[in-house]
Amino acid sequence: MSLRTVRWAGVVLGFLGVALTILFHWQVFFWVPTEASMGIVQRIFYIHLPAAWVGFFAFGLVALCSAVYLWLGEEKLDHAARAAAEGGMIFTTIVLTSGPLWARLAWGTWWTWEPRLTLTLLLWFIYLGYFLVRSSTDNLDRGRKFAAVVGVVGALNIPLIHMSVYWFRSLHPQPVVARVDGPQLHPDMATTVFTALGAWTLVFLSLFLFRYAAARLEAYADRVEAARLDPSRSPTPEGAIVP
Amino acid sequence: MREYFGQIWAIAAKDLRVELRTRERVAAMGAFVVLTAILFNYAVDRTVVHPRELAAGMIWIVISLAGLLGLGRTFELEKEDGALDGLLVAPVPRDALYLGKVLANAVLLVGVTALTVAVFALFFQVRIPGNPLPLAGVLLTGTVGFVALGTLFSGITAGTRMGDTLLPILLFPLLVPLITFGAAATDDLLAGLPPGESAYSLRVLAAFTLVALTAGVGLFRFIVED
Repeated sequence: MSLRTVRWAGVVLGFLGVALTILFHWQVFFWVPTEASMGIVQRIFYIHLPAAWVGFFAFGLVALCSAVYLWLGEEKLDHAARAAAEGGMIFTTIVLTSGPLWARLAWGTWWTWEPRLTLTLLLWFIYLGYFLVRSSTDNLDRGRKFAAVVGVVGALNIPLIHMSVYWFRSLHPQPVVARVDGPQLHPDMATTVFTALGAWTLVFLSLFLFRYAAARLEAYADRVEAARLDPSRSPTPEGAIVP
Repeated sequence: MREYFGQIWAIAAKDLRVELRTRERVAAMGAFVVLTAILFNYAVDRTVVHPRELAAGMIWIVISLAGLLGLGRTFELEKEDGALDGLLVAPVPRDALYLGKVLANAVLLVGVTALTVAVFALFFQVRIPGNPLPLAGVLLTGTVGFVALGTLFSGITAGTRMGDTLLPILLFPLLVPLITFGAAATDDLLAGLPPGESAYSLRVLAAFTLVALTAGVGLFRFIVED
């Protein structure tokens, strides 16, 4: 894909994502019925749950891109992994702020060692390590490999971490949307959740594409600079599509 | 196959020989364990809670911290006089290099683990079960898993500006399964429950160790290239 296509896709998905975000906020505040037992605070759920899904999706994307990057050594895959990790960091942060706000009112405590909450916090720290390794390595290429290894090892351990945190009895509401027998929700609530999920998936993909394009431009700028210092090196292969 | 194990052993023997001559890491980790146990004694109000009740968890925390102290040095050792370059040009596959390092670190850390348990038994009257084999199995499996992951990550941190300070940030989030199931099994065994009660925990620990070793064998070559 050329950079121009990537950026255009980012613009289109971004506009759609923002439009849907406005729509689902309207749904959350004015349209969807209030849940009977938890009351008004349950509306945080429409922000919390889709953010968690997108965060986990992003982490999967990081692991996939990292693994294929190590395998093929293609620089673009590392740009993609980094872009996904940045998006994932944003959405896990949303999960970690909206969760305690809800828990304070619903459970009466800001924090509890609830499995999914704990897992998300650990994911957040794995992402942190991913960025720290990259930023504290002087050799760009080694930093990429280090980060990719951290991304892959982190993902390999997720099932085991998942098992550990679940081993303690769960206080978290059991799944209401992703169930075998279909969502156990009021239809309007389901509509709101899926609007929110669509909105944030689009916002994530848009951010992902923009960051990916930016990373490729940065890499191109580095090559131009290297070519200026050493004229025997050419700044290709992306020279043709950059203005 | 024989040659491969010979290579692993050669790397491990080299590291252990260095350790035997300098005794730096053993001294640091051993002193750390004993001193932490002393501090722990003063940190807990013994009239309210008996240290024995916290022993299983504390043992695993102490092993992790002492291990961190020692593992951080794994590749620092090779930085002097370009020793790592020498190792890398040796006709040894990268994964044998990794496994050799893991083996040497595991020998050190198993010693530290034994010391930790002994110190807790001595200072806090923790009763070692009559048949110590199940407990030894749990501690050994967990320690090897810790070393497998720690050696891989110390290879990474040695190449960064932050060095050792980065190691806990990378390692600790992934140690949750180890601490959860290691401490649970240790607690049960120290309480004198039949070993069958800890079988599930031991299986998860074994899975953790296997995943860590596989990841290390598969990924180590990417972090030492060039």
